[in-house]
Amino acid sequence: MSKKDRSPFAPYPTDWGAFAPLRLRARTVAEGVYAGMHRSVRKGSGVEFGGQRPYVLGDDLRFIDKRSLLKHERMMIREFETETDRALWLIVDATASMAFRGSGPGSKYPFAALLAASLARVALSSGDPVGVVVLGGEDGGRMVRAGAGREAFDRVVWALSSVTAAGDWSSEEDELARALGPVHDRARRGSTIVLLSDFVDLPPAAMAAVGALGTRGRRIFGVQVLSPDEIDLPFDEHARFRSLEGGVVVDADPAAVREHYRQKLAELRQRWSDDLVGRGGGLILSSTNDSPVDVVRSLLLAVSGASAPDETTRAAARGGRSR
Amino acid sequence: MSFLTSLALLAAVLVGAPVAAHLLRRKRATEVVLPTASLLAATPPTARRRSALEDRGLLVIRIIAIILLALLGATPFISCSHVAVLRKDGASVAMVLVVDDSLSMRSKLTEGTTRFDRAKNAARDLIDGAEPGDSFAIVLAGSEARVHLASTTDASAARAALDDVAPSDRSTDLTTAIGIARDVLRGVPQPDKRIVVLSDLADGDPDGAPLEAGEGVALWYPLPDLESKSEADCAIVATERRELTVDVSVRCAGVPSERRVEVVSASDPKTVLGSATLQAGAELVSIKLPENSPAEVDARLSAGDALAADDIAPVALQSKESAVGVLADAAAAHVETGGPPPVEQGFAALQLGPTVRPLSAIPEHVEELGPYAGIVLDDPPGLTPEERKTMISWVEGGGVLLVSLGRKATAAPLGAGFGSLVPGVIRWSSIAPKGVDASKCGFFSSSANGLADIAPKGRTQLPAEATKDAETLCAFEDGEPLLLRRHVGKGSVYLSTLPFDFETSDFALRPAFLVLLDRFVEMARTGGGAKIVEAGKRFSFIGVSSVEGQVMPAGEQKSIALEIPAGQAPRIDAARIGRYLFKVDGAAETRLALASEKEIDLRPRKIAAEAKDPSLGGEARKIDASPYVAMALLGLMVLELLVRLLSPSTETAAPTVPTSRAA
Repeated sequence: MSKKDRSPFAPYPTDWGAFAPLRLRARTVAEGVYAGMHRSVRKGSGVEFGGQRPYVLGDDLRFIDKRSLLKHERMMIREFETETDRALWLIVDATASMAFRGSGPGSKYPFAALLAASLARVALSSGDPVGVVVLGGEDGGRMVRAGAGREAFDRVVWALSSVTAAGDWSSEEDELARALGPVHDRARRGSTIVLLSDFVDLPPAAMAAVGALGTRGRRIFGVQVLSPDEIDLPFDEHARFRSLEGGVVVDADPAAVREHYRQKLAELRQRWSDDLVGRGGGLILSSTNDSPVDVVRSLLLAVSGASAPDETTRAAARGGRSR
Repeated sequence: MSFLTSLALLAAVLVGAPVAAHLLRRKRATEVVLPTASLLAATPPTARRRSALEDRGLLVIRIIAIILLALLGATPFISCSHVAVLRKDGASVAMVLVVDDSLSMRSKLTEGTTRFDRAKNAARDLIDGAEPGDSFAIVLAGSEARVHLASTTDASAARAALDDVAPSDRSTDLTTAIGIARDVLRGVPQPDKRIVVLSDLADGDPDGAPLEAGEGVALWYPLPDLESKSEADCAIVATERRELTVDVSVRCAGVPSERRVEVVSASDPKTVLGSATLQAGAELVSIKLPENSPAEVDARLSAGDALAADDIAPVALQSKESAVGVLADAAAAHVETGGPPPVEQGFAALQLGPTVRPLSAIPEHVEELGPYAGIVLDDPPGLTPEERKTMISWVEGGGVLLVSLGRKATAAPLGAGFGSLVPGVIRWSSIAPKGVDASKCGFFSSSANGLADIAPKGRTQLPAEATKDAETLCAFEDGEPLLLRRHVGKGSVYLSTLPFDFETSDFALRPAFLVLLDRFVEMARTGGGAKIVEAGKRFSFIGVSSVEGQVMPAGEQKSIALEIPAGQAPRIDAARIGRYLFKVDGAAETRLALASEKEIDLRPRKIAAEAKDPSLGGEARKIDASPYVAMALLGLMVLELLVRLLSPSTETAAPTVPTSRAA
């Protein structure tokens, strides 16, 4: 079965809406976010002066403080603080369900892409390499190896903006494992992995596959991106609801099942949150109506350990929502 | 119904649209794309059932709304004509509906509707529009004009009586009908009295004085379109068959034209036994029949005139001549200017032609009186026993005798009386009142007024035996009879207490005298041996114990039973042209009714201009029903709102876990 066949709605038109153009929007978001929240504690060769110590045999002669030697005739070694190599891996869900817009300012995928690009901008500004994996998409996804520098940002933006959300991955466990494989292999200890998805139509084994990324000193965070319609179910009349992945069709009266629906959605989010928190990470809920700055800031705070990445973070992010 | 009306009503087929929409809506719910659909619970079907029930009620309301919209579109074109009366200051109205049930009213006004139908519908409209206090009476103007329903305020009774009125082949007598109507209105308490004429006005007297009511009674002619259009018409007025020859007399009004006359079998009208062409202007045609022709045949005119009902008539079987014999003493009842006696001159004035035969003496054998239907004896000097026996036998057998009693009759020698014809002893009196009481002389109609100052020089006084069981047709001021009628056996005897000479009085010069002779001849023909009458006249059966009968209308194959009034001398209206089959005292007897010559002339009688005054009322040709339909539509809208408001509120359905997955 081809990918196209797997999604009866693919390629569902991805509406970038207010989230375009991605490069400029990401730069604006990044500027609003406090940068450098995760400074390294390991000293060594770096860029910022960290103090002096007496020379011991074996020290690199390149770091002898020549001025101190000439002035005090003591051999001192200059030490510099340096940031650790905390690569940021961004995994962005671009399956068909992410093309849904609802009543938000744009589709879910563009919002997720904006968050990802903004995070990449922030990370690159701090010197952290950034890698990107796109799950799904019209042509099967993208992967950008972790890299730093200005070109890295361009590659990230290109990778994200050139994808049209499509594909039914609701039962494609192998595809998911294949897509996450490079991250699993390349992300080093201390790397931070962020999964931006709606967490709705992922295959049953997704939680285990994603959880595996949070091993070997890596931390994994999730950002659940939903449309306001998915959160609130604002429909009134009896209708036939059809999912974009998995071929689910349900005849339902929204007014009658709204509470039940919200409960099921909360349960889903709680399952993922419990799993990610258990692995040292966390889950943030975001709506396409939310301010991307707030969402990114919340995530960075969660990553830096300033606050727990749970519903509290979600509430803070929602409180700063820009309309 | 016009094309536009049909087109507007055709919009009613759109009632199928809501049904189709409803079915389509029920088939497929609105589809919404929602990635998190898998988290939704399918709603239990109760909610949909409630929706379906509510939809059904709304569906019915909307279907009715569409039908009403179609009607709303059609109403401006729907004509619903009806006749309505306009009241003076809202006062109650006493109406006499003069419904013309004559032959001419059977002509078609429009396709499928006769003038009679139109008149009857208008009468029904008037009754239906009755207000409390209104009264109705029905007078039928077909000759003889008669009261069909006395004045009543019971509209349902009036409606039922109107339903009983049927068209006939009578001639028209509007003058008498209006006179009767005026009499009916005389005692009613309503201030607004009206005579409503529902007729084509074709009464055969187009040059007569305009019809008017008089006496404070309004004459109203609400249907001017009913007025006859002076069309050409021909009718078969007389038929006679002698052996294998049939003589057919035809009268035409209007522009004469060549017509084809056929003789057909009465039992099978498609079998033509003989035919001839009646040239334009000709009135008589003889048609030869083949051997072994059936006994009962009909004569038929080819189609092409206003009235079809008078184009066919039964043919009389070799009828006997029904002559009138006159026995008058030319010396005693002479005229100074010369000529025959006044009675014979009177018959001559009536243009009865060769049917009047002078008698020199009364035959002594009754068989010799066979050809005579009526005999007039003008002041006979008594009857010899032989003559008396002959006359009594003839009268008892159905003859009609008119006897004027004068000086000679009262001076009859002993043994020369009149026997049972004039019982008792009659005496002459030289003292007589000035004239007659016109109110007691209905027999002479309006001509009775001319006898009010007749001032005779004497009169015959009748004994009580003679007036007992006799019908006084006209009386003097002192109540003594001038003219009376006695039934003897199957026949009748008319007794005049004034002779027809000029020495006693000028009775013979008065119009009433001609009326007397005319009625006498008529009675002789209908009550005597004559078996053929004009439609509308009566068949008389005098001195019979039982009569049964039925009529076979000309051109029809279905007979109609006749209602025979009880009594010793039943008289039966010959309302239809056709063959009347009677059983008189067990013996079969066939009589015929033919078209009246009066009814052929379709030129309308003039009517007073006030009768068409719109202030009396008129015909509301169209009723605009759109306001009512529009109100109904508004009512439906309110009903729909109520249905929506009162429908049960949305119930929270218990969610179910399973979700459906498309294949």
